[in-house]
Amino acid sequence: MAHSPEEIAKHIKTYLFVGATLLVFTAITVGLSFVDFGSQSLNMTIGMAVAAFKSSLVILIFMHMNNERPLIYKFMLFTMVFLGVMFTLFVFTHDDPLVMRGYESVFGNH
Amino acid sequence: MEIPYTVTARPDTGLWNAKIGIWLFLASEVMLFGGLFSSYIFLRLGADYHWPIHELNVTMGCFNTAVLIASSVTIVMAWAGVKMRKFAMYFWCLLATIVCSFIFLGVKFFEYKAKLEHYGVILKDGTILQGHLPGEGYKIKFNVDSITLSTKHDTSDPGYFMRYAVKPEAEHGGAHAEGHDAGPEHLEMSAVQFKTEKGETITLDKDWERLRQEAQAAKPKVESLKLTPVAPLALHAHPKKLVNYTPTSMAFIDSTQVAGKLVSDDMHLEVDLVDARATADADKSLAWSLLKDAAWKKQFDEHRAEELKKHEEHHPGTDPMKSDHFLREGLRWHIHGTTPDEHAAKHKEGVGILDGMPWVHHHYPAVTIPGKEIERWSNFTPSWNTYYAIYFCITGLHGAHVLAGALIMLYFLVFNSSWFKTDPEHLANRVETGGLFWHFVDLVWIFLFPLLYLL
Repeated sequence: MAHSPEEIAKHIKTYLFVGATLLVFTAITVGLSFVDFGSQSLNMTIGMAVAAFKSSLVILIFMHMNNERPLIYKFMLFTMVFLGVMFTLFVFTHDDPLVMRGYESVFGNH
Repeated sequence: MEIPYTVTARPDTGLWNAKIGIWLFLASEVMLFGGLFSSYIFLRLGADYHWPIHELNVTMGCFNTAVLIASSVTIVMAWAGVKMRKFAMYFWCLLATIVCSFIFLGVKFFEYKAKLEHYGVILKDGTILQGHLPGEGYKIKFNVDSITLSTKHDTSDPGYFMRYAVKPEAEHGGAHAEGHDAGPEHLEMSAVQFKTEKGETITLDKDWERLRQEAQAAKPKVESLKLTPVAPLALHAHPKKLVNYTPTSMAFIDSTQVAGKLVSDDMHLEVDLVDARATADADKSLAWSLLKDAAWKKQFDEHRAEELKKHEEHHPGTDPMKSDHFLREGLRWHIHGTTPDEHAAKHKEGVGILDGMPWVHHHYPAVTIPGKEIERWSNFTPSWNTYYAIYFCITGLHGAHVLAGALIMLYFLVFNSSWFKTDPEHLANRVETGGLFWHFVDLVWIFLFPLLYLL
C-alpha cells in the first residue's frame, strides 16, 4: 500500500513481466484447446486452470490484492462465498426429472 | 459539497473513500457476471445440441485478449506515472488504454457483424449447413392473383409485402436465373394498379386510406378488401414475414392474405460448413445430394478417415463416436473453396489464421435447398440456440463495461489531467479507481475467451 516513487519504479518491471506472462498463457490456452485430451471435460478443466492462474496474476499484481487493507479482503471473501454457491447450484439439477428426460432424448437421437 | 477523504484514509475504514466504493461496486459486479456465468453452466449442461467449440473467430478473440492485456499493463503504468510524477508516462499510458478499449470494441463489432451475416440451415435429417445467402437472401417467390388487405390497420403502408413486389420472371425473360443477375426488378408497390371488387382501378398510395375508411364506416363493417393486380405481379416474400404459405396462398404476419401460385421456395446458400454430427447416417446426409458433385463427398470421406486415424493413434480402443473431439473434427467439415479441387488444394496448404477475417471474401459452393428439406434456418442471432443467446448476452454486457471504462478514462484524461500539477495524489487515486474497474473487465474476459471461443 505504501507507494513511494522508488518502490513504484521497482514495480514497473513486474507489471511488464506479468503482462508478458498473461500473453504467453493466452497463447497456451489457445494451443491446448486444439489438443485432444480424450474428453472435453479434461480440456475444460485444463483451460479453466490456466484462466484461474491468469486471473490470480491480475488480481494480485495489477489490482494490488497482494498488499491490501483487511477490510477489502473481508468483503471480497464474503462475495466469493456467494459466487462459489452460484457456480455449484447446477449440482441440484441432477435429480431434476425434467433434465433427466431431456438427457434421455438427447442420447436417443444420436 | 466537497467529498471528504479523497486522498487521505478515513480513520475508521483505513481507506480513502473511492477505494472502498470501487471495491464494493466490484463485489456487486462479481455477482452480476457470476450469475451469468452460472446461467452459462446451466445452459451448457442442458444443451440438446453439440455445444459450439471453435465456432467463433479464434484469431479475433485472441487478438482482443491481447489488446485487453496490453491495456491492463498501460493503465497500471499510467497510475505509476502519476505516482512517480512523470506526466508523459501518465498521459501516453492512459491514452493508450483508451485506444485499446476502442480497438476491442471495433473488433467486437466486426465479430458480431460476421455472425449476423452468417446463416445456419438445419435440414430435415438433422444435418446443419452453414453459409451465406447470396443476392437478396432467402425469399419465397410467388405470382399474385389477388391480395386481401385487412382494413383494420391504420397505416399508409398496407402490408409488409410491399417492399418485395417484383415483376414476374416471365416479364424480363428470367434473366436472373443464370447466377450473374442484377437481382429481380423491383416495383414501387404503392404505385402498382389494382382493381377492387367493385371494378374501380386504384393505387395504394392514392386510394388506400379512402377505401379503408369507407370500409370501416360501412354497415356492416367491411373487414378486408380484395384487390386484383391489373398487370401481372410477383412477390418475393421474406419468410420471416409470413405466418405460412401453401402452393396457392401466402399469409403475412400483418394478416394480409395473398392468393396465386407458388413459384419457388428454394433457398440458395453458399455452403462453408457441413455439420453431420446430428445426422443419423453421415454417409446418407441430404448435404451430399445438395452438393451434387460426388467429389465433395469423397473429400469429406478422406477428411473423416484422416481424423479417425488420428483418433485411433491417440486413443486406441475407444469409440470415436463418443469423442467430442473426433465428432467435431471429423463430422463437422469446413469447405475451403468453390470446387472440390480448390478445396483439396487449400486443405493441403493449410488454412491460415487470417482466413476467417471480415476483409477476406471467399466463395463457396452454391447449393439450392428446396423449402421442404429445411427444418429451421436463421442467421446466428441469440435465437439460433442457447449458446448464441448467452454469447450475445455476456459479451454484450462485457462490451458495455468496456465502453463505460473507456468513457471514464477519457473523462480523467480530458478533465483531470490538470490535477497532475495541483493535486497529483487525488489524480493518482482516480486513475487507480478507474484502473481497478478496468482490471475487472479484463478479468471477466480472461474467463469469457476460453469459455466461449475455445472450450
